Amino acid sequence: MSARPEDDPLDRHALVVAVWLAGGFVAATLLSIGLERGSFVVTLAAFGAALAAFIGHVIVNEVFQTGFTPRELGLGLVGAVAGLVAIGLGGLVSPEFRATGFLPASLGLIGLAAAVIVYMLIRHGVRGAFDAFDVIRDFRR
Amino acid sequence: MMSLLIVLFGVTAAYAVYIAALCARRRQTPVFEAEGLPAWTFIFGSAGLVVAGLGLDAHLALAARYGLQASHLAVGLVLVALTGVLVVKRVVLAARLTGIASPGALLGGYYGSVTLRIAVMVLAALYALPFSAAALAGVGDLVSAATAGALPRAGVIAVVAVFLFLPSVLGGWRAIVYVAAGQSLIVLVLLAFLAVAVSTDLGVPLFGAAIPTAGGILADRIPGVFQASAGIGKGAAIGGIWTTTGILSSALALAGIVLSPAYLLLAIGTRARTAVAFSQTWVTGGIAAGLLVVGTPILAAALATAEGGGPAVAMAGLADRLAAYEPLLGVGLILLVVGVVQIGIALFAGAAARIFAHEAVALYVLPRLSPAGERLATRISLAVVFALLAAMAVFAPLPSAILASLALPLSIQLLPALLGLCFLPWLSRSAVLAGLVVGCLMVFFTEPPGLILFDGLFVELPWGRWPLTVHSAAWGLAFNLAATLLAAIFTRGGAEQDHRDRLHDAFRAAYPADLGSGAARGAKWSLVLLWSFLALGPGAILGNTFFSDPIFAGGPAQVGLPSLWVWQVLFWFVGVFLIWWLAYHGRMAVIEPGPARRVSYETGPPSAFQRRAPLWIERTLARVARR
Repeated sequence: MSARPEDDPLDRHALVVAVWLAGGFVAATLLSIGLERGSFVVTLAAFGAALAAFIGHVIVNEVFQTGFTPRELGLGLVGAVAGLVAIGLGGLVSPEFRATGFLPASLGLIGLAAAVIVYMLIRHGVRGAFDAFDVIRDFRR
Repeated sequence: MMSLLIVLFGVTAAYAVYIAALCARRRQTPVFEAEGLPAWTFIFGSAGLVVAGLGLDAHLALAARYGLQASHLAVGLVLVALTGVLVVKRVVLAARLTGIASPGALLGGYYGSVTLRIAVMVLAALYALPFSAAALAGVGDLVSAATAGALPRAGVIAVVAVFLFLPSVLGGWRAIVYVAAGQSLIVLVLLAFLAVAVSTDLGVPLFGAAIPTAGGILADRIPGVFQASAGIGKGAAIGGIWTTTGILSSALALAGIVLSPAYLLLAIGTRARTAVAFSQTWVTGGIAAGLLVVGTPILAAALATAEGGGPAVAMAGLADRLAAYEPLLGVGLILLVVGVVQIGIALFAGAAARIFAHEAVALYVLPRLSPAGERLATRISLAVVFALLAAMAVFAPLPSAILASLALPLSIQLLPALLGLCFLPWLSRSAVLAGLVVGCLMVFFTEPPGLILFDGLFVELPWGRWPLTVHSAAWGLAFNLAATLLAAIFTRGGAEQDHRDRLHDAFRAAYPADLGSGAARGAKWSLVLLWSFLALGPGAILGNTFFSDPIFAGGPAQVGLPSLWVWQVLFWFVGVFLIWWLAYHGRMAVIEPGPARRVSYETGPPSAFQRRAPLWIERTLARVARR
């Protein structure tokens, strides 16, 4: 059957959205249960589900021989910052969250960040991964 | 829970419309073309379609009522995958060699038969209308019960139908397939997650849950190899209806989904070479079957303890119990059941509309239709199909359910025709048609439509549904194969066989099958038969006590799990290995790159076969006329 190069981005995009919908639902449910009941393991498992969705996304990228699109990177960064702000605010304003949810949520977010760094190291190598954040060199140009 | 339910339905509907809009924006691609779909759409979409054919809510309700004997049908997904391994590759290659991308036109062109083409169209209509309508009616009942009537049944049906129709008409077959495949992935994840969540939250054991059934039903055993019962409605089966022959024949019926027009259309449109093998081995036979083997007893055990009158009310009760623990879990259960139904409806309705517009309207009604006209015809067909199925779901759920019972068993009656197309050039048109007619009649008279019609109009039949606890699919297929083989003996050779040989010559030249030496071939077939015998057939009766009361131990063993459940898991594992061996090692489902359009078959009314009365009728008439 004929392959159409113009359909490839759509092929990939539809699958990526499905992967994140599935992973996102599981992560949201686990996070809700974990925070509601103050369960360390379940809250951490929520980030595990998000990590599984991220790994699924990476696998899709590899199958389609592509990387993250600028929009996906932007959305990911916004999500990470929002998560960080939410955890910080939660820790400041809610004693309950500070007591039971802060540690697993922070660990989960750190785990996700670590997964992103590991992915970049594997995909781009140490120098390539560092170059991506080397803003100073951009100024020198 | 209701507001959360509406929001999450909105998210899935937005996903569908968004993908459809993206498809529609690519104007250079005809939206109703079925070719060039990526591998993942078939990998997940086919598994979702199989689960939709099984009917997840019905399967869970049966397992809650009959216990492990009914959930044993999950092992039948391995048989479904084996059927896929057997026919899908050759159908895809035949489509490639002939350039015909529609299952009905392919069978019709190969056999030179308009009847077969009409049969495929009727089958597509059966799946798209009564089968989908019965499933949609179930969705209406479930959501209405879950929201305590706040969302009325008719309104739910209308909204679900509209949000299935919108992406279909906007983005065409491509969007339908993307969305259905995406939903299949979500459904598989939800099934796994909810099984674990129900086990954790409601205290049901994760492995080998005991399903509390009513008295007189064997919850963790198969009630015999077969039973001399007159059939459902005319006689009772002791201990339950799921005997080994009942399970095997029901698995055969389920395999009919592989031969359904939607499934074949999905397969023909896939472009990757290993998609079929991967899908059958790891997703349908592996993940989907495994999740159902392990997950069904958990969900069914929880469902059996839920209070409620009918299956929909019981399911809503279970969703309520889960929602009391965590609202997202309750909504997730409803999304799971509705998602499975949506996959089926989208693919069945889309395939029926496409087949009808392509094979009926564009070929017979308006033969000079332009591509744009054909797209319009498909869109109109889609509108008609969705309007009809929604109307049937709202106003005629019972007749829909009665007619829906025919879809799967009639589907499997196409097996001889497809085996002829794939492997057996000596199966003639007459033989296949004779078998099809006999098989369909047998199905009709062992399912509710035939029984109700005959009992109402003529005389009460002595048998009910599934006599001798054998599913109508098996009754039909047995008589179908007998009639096909008998007729094939007398109709071999001639111009018709030359016509069919062209495709098989092209198979041999372009895609030589390497099924190994005689011993390897024998091993392939005999292992499949042996597995079927032990996993689903009469041998499965050994699973009742094989692990709990082993004959070699001299007494009962403390396994801590129902022996039948262990047997199911064991044969699921063995079945996956068998599928892998045939699909990859035997190359039966790996599609090699190769030439296309080597054989030309007419897709219009056949001129190669002149319409004439059968010879025996001609001779008899001549004799009578001479006198």
